Amino acid sequence: MSQEHPEDSRPKREPGTLESYIIGFCLSLLLTALPYRLVVTKAVTGNTLLATILGFAALQMLVQIFFFLHLGRGPKPLYNVVFFGSTVGLIAVVVGGSIFIMNHLHYNMTPTEASNQLAQDEGIYQVEGTNTGACQKLNAKHQVTISSGKISPIDTKAQLCDTLTFMNEDSAAHDIAFGTYPNQDTYDGQTKLMLRKGGGMTITLDRSGTYQFYEHDNPKIAGSFTVSP
Amino acid sequence: MADTMTTEMTHEEAANNRAMFGFWVYLMTDLLMFGVLFAVFAVLHNNTAGGSSGRELFKLKLALIETFLLLTSSFACGLAMIAARQGNKNQVLAWFTVTFVLGVAFLSLELTEFGQLIHDGNTPSSSAFLSSFFTLVGAHGLHITLGLLWMVIVMAYVLARGLSSSMVRKLTMLSLYWHFLDIVWIFIFTIVYLRAFI
Amino acid sequence: MKELLIGKLNWQALPHEWFTLGGAAALLGLGLFLIILITRLKRWKWLWKEWLTTVDPKKIGIMYFIVAGFMLLRGGLDAIMIWLQQALSSGASHGYLSSDHFQQIFTAHGNIMVFFVAMGFVFGLINFIVPLQIGARDLASPFLNTLGFWLYVGGVLMVNMFFLLGGKYAATGWLAVAPLSSTQFSPGVGVDYMIWALQISGVGTTLGAINFIMTILKMRAPGMKLKHIPLFTWGSLCSMIMAVTVFPLLTATLFLLFLDRYAGMHFFTTTGGGNAMMYTNLIWMWGHPEVYVLILPSFGVFSEVVSVFSRKRISSYTSAVLGMIGVSTLALSVWLHHFFTMGAGADVNAFFGLMTMIIAVPTTVLVLTWIATLYKGRIRFTTPMLWFLGFVGTFAVGGMTGVILAQPPADFQLHNSLFLVAHFHTMVIGGVLWGIFAGLTYWFPKIAGFRLNERIGRYAFWCWLIGFWMAFGPLYILGLMGATRRLDHYTNSSWQPFFIVALLGGLVIMAGVVLQIVQIIASFMQRRQLADTTGDPWDGRTLEWSTPSPAPFYNFATIPKVATRDAFWEAKQLGLPERKYEDIHMPRNTASGIYIAALAFLAGFGFVWHITWLIVAAMLGIVVCVIARTFNEDTEYVLPAQEVEKLEHERAQKALARHQDIHTDTFEEMGLREFVRVAIKWVLDVIRNKRWRTL
Repeated sequence: MSQEHPEDSRPKREPGTLESYIIGFCLSLLLTALPYRLVVTKAVTGNTLLATILGFAALQMLVQIFFFLHLGRGPKPLYNVVFFGSTVGLIAVVVGGSIFIMNHLHYNMTPTEASNQLAQDEGIYQVEGTNTGACQKLNAKHQVTISSGKISPIDTKAQLCDTLTFMNEDSAAHDIAFGTYPNQDTYDGQTKLMLRKGGGMTITLDRSGTYQFYEHDNPKIAGSFTVSP
Repeated sequence: MADTMTTEMTHEEAANNRAMFGFWVYLMTDLLMFGVLFAVFAVLHNNTAGGSSGRELFKLKLALIETFLLLTSSFACGLAMIAARQGNKNQVLAWFTVTFVLGVAFLSLELTEFGQLIHDGNTPSSSAFLSSFFTLVGAHGLHITLGLLWMVIVMAYVLARGLSSSMVRKLTMLSLYWHFLDIVWIFIFTIVYLRAFI
Repeated sequence: MKELLIGKLNWQALPHEWFTLGGAAALLGLGLFLIILITRLKRWKWLWKEWLTTVDPKKIGIMYFIVAGFMLLRGGLDAIMIWLQQALSSGASHGYLSSDHFQQIFTAHGNIMVFFVAMGFVFGLINFIVPLQIGARDLASPFLNTLGFWLYVGGVLMVNMFFLLGGKYAATGWLAVAPLSSTQFSPGVGVDYMIWALQISGVGTTLGAINFIMTILKMRAPGMKLKHIPLFTWGSLCSMIMAVTVFPLLTATLFLLFLDRYAGMHFFTTTGGGNAMMYTNLIWMWGHPEVYVLILPSFGVFSEVVSVFSRKRISSYTSAVLGMIGVSTLALSVWLHHFFTMGAGADVNAFFGLMTMIIAVPTTVLVLTWIATLYKGRIRFTTPMLWFLGFVGTFAVGGMTGVILAQPPADFQLHNSLFLVAHFHTMVIGGVLWGIFAGLTYWFPKIAGFRLNERIGRYAFWCWLIGFWMAFGPLYILGLMGATRRLDHYTNSSWQPFFIVALLGGLVIMAGVVLQIVQIIASFMQRRQLADTTGDPWDGRTLEWSTPSPAPFYNFATIPKVATRDAFWEAKQLGLPERKYEDIHMPRNTASGIYIAALAFLAGFGFVWHITWLIVAAMLGIVVCVIARTFNEDTEYVLPAQEVEKLEHERAQKALARHQDIHTDTFEEMGLREFVRVAIKWVLDVIRNKRWRTL
């Protein structure tokens, strides 16, 4: 029961001295007042200011860690330092990663589209009697064929929750983009379908309306499909 | 295991050492929870849904005063710990009382701010921005409240039982917790309040 | 007034559909049966004193096994119901389940299997084995351990409460993805039950994990450095560090979802500026590493098993440890691969796709380490070893399909398909669950004092292996054919044969589970012959085998001194050290854990049904209990050295007597036919004589 980690030595309590607390306190006051002044006086602006005040906050954290919490002065090995360091790193990942991801999610999708796509991806089309916008089952199949630089049929008529397959019967690869040239749009969460020669790709028609598409490198090759609810 | 190894701790010392480490790990988990709240605030702070933004709602001076109150209480808590290690019971009680009073002052300022906002119709359910603001700052306030409760109980026990080694351990934990809330507040001050006025 | 007293509860909440009636009857029936049984046997006091309030990690481990085992049956029943619906519901037929009910079933299946089966077994194993492996007598904080266990039990009850009151579980998928889980789509209490089941057990997990980190880092036997600790302990340490990292994220995220639902806030709603994708982002930050939390202990188990049953040291301890650390380090950098299709640009997708492929590297290192350990080993094909071999093949397929899914272009085609479902079941059944089975079989002698029946164990293994591939092989194919997941009905009749094969596979797995239960009963019948009298039935390498089986409550009469890896193996080569008895500090049993967990359950129940007074009362109760516990200075007692010596002496006498009782030459393990014969004889005997006879 009482065995202790062998690498531990008898803890030499180095209590924070009065000086260390006073130094820490004064530094903290300073590091609070300075960014406040900067923001009020607008000495710098924009992202520089943001970076500066975040820098002050980080500095103040270090000051308090050192002078108030006396981290790193306990018995060895310093597991608590390791844990603190990795926690700071993890929070950077959690906050930074969220900002990085969330800013990019709207690159290809509006929030409403994302909501519908979520329901579709979860495979849940109805919860407690309310439709979520996802397709329950896939109905009819439609096909658009690209052959010797022509698209047939030019306009496809379909119902919601049908599927549409793009077939490439040419001897070269084609990229099908949604929207009208040069304004690219998305459908079914995709901006572009890359069709190798002889290959095909299928999308689920989960949004109603009329949508245009064109060959990415040759916008003259274009067509549309209409999804009725 | 009181045997040959001279570097061995006594049973009680070892237990105290472990408990301190465990408490530290707990603080780290708490910090990660705040991390999520910060992430949510960072992502949602512009989603005011047509309502007021932080610049229109916050009073920067008030936030600065709150920061100074909390900093000073953290300092007082540190002085209490010096007294605790010297075994000076009266000083411990005195400094913790100072810490407590400053903590209560901080909390009442925060509650006043919340009350004012809600009174003006800016409630947590008004917009995503306000939801994340109230949750982040409120979570910190809740921690402060629990800390104050803890402080009262610890002080009562110190008064009744004196400063045993396990009591000093409990005081050390409390002071860790208090300093740590101070650090969280620094980031709230910077990211929530100062950021709104850039 | 009614609102004040019982919140949103009403008469409609009582069970009135066939499945809620059935579930309620089963729950209440089981409860009633246990109450009558315990009362008849006059065991209430014993149960409370010896088990419910215990702080002994070994007993808590056994309780984890029992609860997780029950939940495995419960979640397995859900699985069979899903398979049956899918096998029936093709073309004109719509099966026997409504689509809403079907959704509730797969949601409950996911929650139960991950939180209450896998986590339960993992914590059970860690509780039982880690202290023994590191030469500790108990845990750093025995109280936190009972608290964690009872919070887990609170979660188990909460996840089943909808049978009794409410009638509906969440129908949102196991992660309760927003906005489906918002009040807009899910106004009922199903999602609330789910939130609180996960919250309560999640807090328990965090506390338990903190405790094991303290224990492993601070309570190892003298001389045992980090580079000496056994690989199961390494796996557990990595897993527990991951758990304290990600479970706070889960708690915070679910808390925000709760605020959305309870207080009308706008974090993940479709209105008021909320962003539903933020929920997906946060929940997968927990969700992906969670898989590693589950599988790392299994990696540890396999490392032990493969080394012991090859009679070799692990081929490279360093690469095994680095593999585990590598997996844990990278685990929090891959979460976006769960939503590649949600509109992220090429930069983001490419980064996370790449990270996902990189995380396959440390896992491969581990697999290669195990295979290299087999090389030139003197392999014994015992059941733990069979589980390992089944695992390696299955896991390799799962890993490769994972790398396929890791590439965003392929994922655009395969997401939301049965291919994905097959992939993660390969990892979680083939990796986590079989690792747990291997561990349970391997350590069973230490837990119960006798070995498990190898013969029936082999049958069970083959049922699981064949059943698994019959059940999930077709799902891979169906996924490539375009079948999406969670279909309660499909029009394409060419899919039906595959779904029927999958159902048959599910039944074969079920046969495997029945055989495992038979295996335990049969081993119990032959417990005298199968008894482990030496404490070291497999010629083990690590410290847990140096104590008698089952381990005494103080684990070690003398704390071992360690200077190398495989400490017990080395000690056996050099001769075991002389025993010197000493006073032992033991923790006192406490009921605080069970009280706090019960109050947490009540608070959760209050939140589900909006009963304010209950919430306030329960929260206050928790605060009072915590204060009372923290200031209780009388939490330990001392077991004097003479007492230890006496106990050890008695045990040695008993073991000797039992050892002489075993006639290994004539003993044969019971087969299935023999088991059926004995069982029928016993039942007839009970009926004829109208009284119990022990087996």
